[in-house]
Amino acid sequence: MGDRSIKLIVNGYSYNVSVPAETTLLEVLREELQLTGTKFGCDTGECGACTVLIDGRPFRSCMTLAVEVEGKRITTIEGLANGGELHPVQKKFVELQAIQCGFCSPGMILTAVAFLGENPKPTRQEVRRAISGNICRCTGYQKIVEAVIAASKINGGGRK
Amino acid sequence: MKTETLIGKSVPRIDSIRKATGAAKYTADLFLSGMLHAKVLRSPYPHARILDIDTSKAEQLEGVRAVITGKDTKGVKWGVFPYTQDHGMIATDKVRFIGEEVAAVAAVTEEIAQRAVELIDVTYEELPAVFDPEKAMKDDKLIHEDRGTNINVHVDIDVGDVDAAFGEAEIVLEDVFKSAGEAYAMMEPYSVVADFNSEGYLDLWIPNAGPHVRAKALSNLLKMPLNKVRVRKIDIGGAFGGRSEVSPSDVVTALLSIKSRQPVKLVLSREETFTATRQVHDMIVYLKTGADANGMIIARDARVIYDGGAYSSTGPIATSVPFYVYEETYKHPNVRYNGYRVYTNKCPRGMYPHHGRAYQVAMTTHMDMVAEKLGLDPMEIRLRNANRSGDHTATDSVISSCGLSESITMTAEMSRWSEKRGKLPKYRGIGMGSMGLMCGFPMGFRSGATAFIRMNESGQITLFTGMVDNGQGNENMVVQITAEVIGIPMEMVNLVNADTEMTGHDPGAYSQAATFVGGNAVMRAAQDVRRQVLAASAEMMKVAPDELDITNGMIHLKNDNEKSFFIARAARYAMSNGGNIVGKGSYFPKISRDREWVKNPRGQMGGTYSFNTVVTEIEVDPDTGIIKMLDVWAAHDCGKPINPATVEGQIHGIVSRGGVATYMEEIDWDRGQVLNPNLLDYKVPLATDMPEMDVELITTNDPEGPFGAKEGGLTASMNVYKAIVSAFYDATGVWLKELPFTPEKVLKALAKKNN
Ligand code: FES
Ligand code: FES
Repeated sequence: MGDRSIKLIVNGYSYNVSVPAETTLLEVLREELQLTGTKFGCDTGECGACTVLIDGRPFRSCMTLAVEVEGKRITTIEGLANGGELHPVQKKFVELQAIQCGFCSPGMILTAVAFLGENPKPTRQEVRRAISGNICRCTGYQKIVEAVIAASKINGGGRK
Repeated sequence: MKTETLIGKSVPRIDSIRKATGAAKYTADLFLSGMLHAKVLRSPYPHARILDIDTSKAEQLEGVRAVITGKDTKGVKWGVFPYTQDHGMIATDKVRFIGEEVAAVAAVTEEIAQRAVELIDVTYEELPAVFDPEKAMKDDKLIHEDRGTNINVHVDIDVGDVDAAFGEAEIVLEDVFKSAGEAYAMMEPYSVVADFNSEGYLDLWIPNAGPHVRAKALSNLLKMPLNKVRVRKIDIGGAFGGRSEVSPSDVVTALLSIKSRQPVKLVLSREETFTATRQVHDMIVYLKTGADANGMIIARDARVIYDGGAYSSTGPIATSVPFYVYEETYKHPNVRYNGYRVYTNKCPRGMYPHHGRAYQVAMTTHMDMVAEKLGLDPMEIRLRNANRSGDHTATDSVISSCGLSESITMTAEMSRWSEKRGKLPKYRGIGMGSMGLMCGFPMGFRSGATAFIRMNESGQITLFTGMVDNGQGNENMVVQITAEVIGIPMEMVNLVNADTEMTGHDPGAYSQAATFVGGNAVMRAAQDVRRQVLAASAEMMKVAPDELDITNGMIHLKNDNEKSFFIARAARYAMSNGGNIVGKGSYFPKISRDREWVKNPRGQMGGTYSFNTVVTEIEVDPDTGIIKMLDVWAAHDCGKPINPATVEGQIHGIVSRGGVATYMEEIDWDRGQVLNPNLLDYKVPLATDMPEMDVELITTNDPEGPFGAKEGGLTASMNVYKAIVSAFYDATGVWLKELPFTPEKVLKALAKKNN
């Protein structure tokens, strides 16, 4: 037992937290930092609702221990917009109604951002494959695919 | 000069920015000061008598603030109807399914609550359990002794002369169809926050589909005055019919907060959400169908068994809706329907967008079989039997506006049906499903809705409505309607909704009532405001109110945009001459008031009906047995789309849930234990499972709906699996009768045919 003191860099701010070594990043984000945009959907790596970016790459925060990401650059959904300016992926999700209940949206949007960083001009099929680890029960994925494709056409669609 | 209109525009939804930025707050995201965390002790047995519960060790654990058992309830049982009240919410005498609530703890941390739960000692005496509804119907093991039978509900409908019609029928078919139960699998695990304060108010944040009906149920269960139980607004991560009624978690959390006098949060795990919140009914359908030589279905005799699980839930409604959905779609001159909802030792079952899938598949498959025997195109037989505007259903509902035939011919055109049906290469097929559905159903005096609007001195307004949004876009819908009616931009409309303290009654976001009933009330409240604004402006301008119009917040003479002034002036004028402009609107659908699900199943069911057809082309892999949807076309009569993209989105989602469920989704059981209570083993559709979907909206301008609108999409879920069954026959020449059509079942069916 015994807590570990770790330093996390989340959305550009650094935080010192003291938590047991087995604490997941999801728990730290939600409970310690109260960044509740990152969602708890299953806690077992099945749904993707807890996805965050770690050094620009998507990870499931429920499967990541907080101690593992000490000092790494973590982006949650709260840190994606640039001040008042939405990220192009967020903008297209809003405009094209790729969001219904919104519970999958933070994880879905961050997955899409990371994907567009790797593959700036994807086909619809490639988008489907890229988001196939993020479950959405509401939209049937069609408008999500449309929004990701539309974001890929904006300059900076893959900006992280 | 009004040129702009918001209605029919796919404007971005007002709720989407907060959801895209992580600012949306769902129940589990709430942190109140002094908040405790709850954990629930659940039954490990499907059926057992509780002999003793010892909570003393749990109570002594440091950090524990409250422990409750069934003894802490008020002894009130929940049921939607007085005659179905059978669920005490926390078990007292017996447990009736694995996962049932037995006790609960609130503690300063979740870990302590969990440890405390493990310290509770329960002595059980195991009882023989029953899982098969047909065995349960024999009544040798009673689940509720006081009821004397395991038959929870029997709906008996008999119209026309069924036996005589079978005597006249040219073709008579008899088959058995089955479907497995499914999981709602909404993305948000079930969560509750309850805060009982020193003034005796209980505030609750709960994922719900109708805050007002939820508050009333809780006020009954907790024996508290309704005004003291306040269900507050919160974002909700999906409902799909699974969050329509009060849940044991609500009662547990409320009781813990009342006992500890502190706020309490309960967040269920994904597994608990699967095993111990609502599930979907398993079904068995015995169907006999008679048709004449023209392909008219003239007789039906259906015996339908619904595996209801341990408690009534929405029992009488669930046992009836599949029947009504069919009669609202097709002519039904002679029909006998015996629906039995039966208790078993499983989690209680509720309604789902494609609730009753075995029944709809059975009815449509028989129609297709008749068509086959007569050499008719399946599209043609649907058109011949289809209801039309002005038709009466078997149980005396009148269908006001009906775009069913249009939806059939439109999807046929979109999919190039005639070039494909019966003509595609082997193992490829195309199929069609059609369905109509009531918008709202009788809920007694709770069937209607009331909305209010207040205008401030700057001309901006706040709309107060009980309407809840589970993700389907209801919040945006009411704001779009309000802005359009008054003549102001949407940015001038603030919304206060889904809070029982601050809003009027709304029946809830299920049974397709939201736009038609709640939207109608909002429209009338906005009309009231508009009337007052025009009256005040007319007085100021010394003209008649009907000479004026409002465009984009500017008041002007109808034919003269030049001389105009901002609406705020009218607001201020009204304030100096009486007070704030305040509007009110109510709507009660034109439904039969003496209709009762069991005792009197006759009369007007819904205020109106919406219609939809789905066509899908599929491919069957004969080596693996895997079915894949290649294309989906849907045409939907939603009366008039308020926001077309929102309606399309509803249809997309519902096609994914209903379509992929046809061959993938089922809950696996082993003697009352769910074997796949997670999103890995329970297969929900992923992006790669879904084809591209092509959706068209049909405008029929319903005479009663707000701007002619009806419901937006649910009907499609009833269709896509029927379309798949029909497409599977087209692809393989085999009728599948047991949902879901898993690869094993497909391979078995193909092997049987080839022998
Ligand atoms: S919560 Fe992490 S994958 Fe579901
Ligand atoms: S929008 Fe509800 S789960 Fe994706």
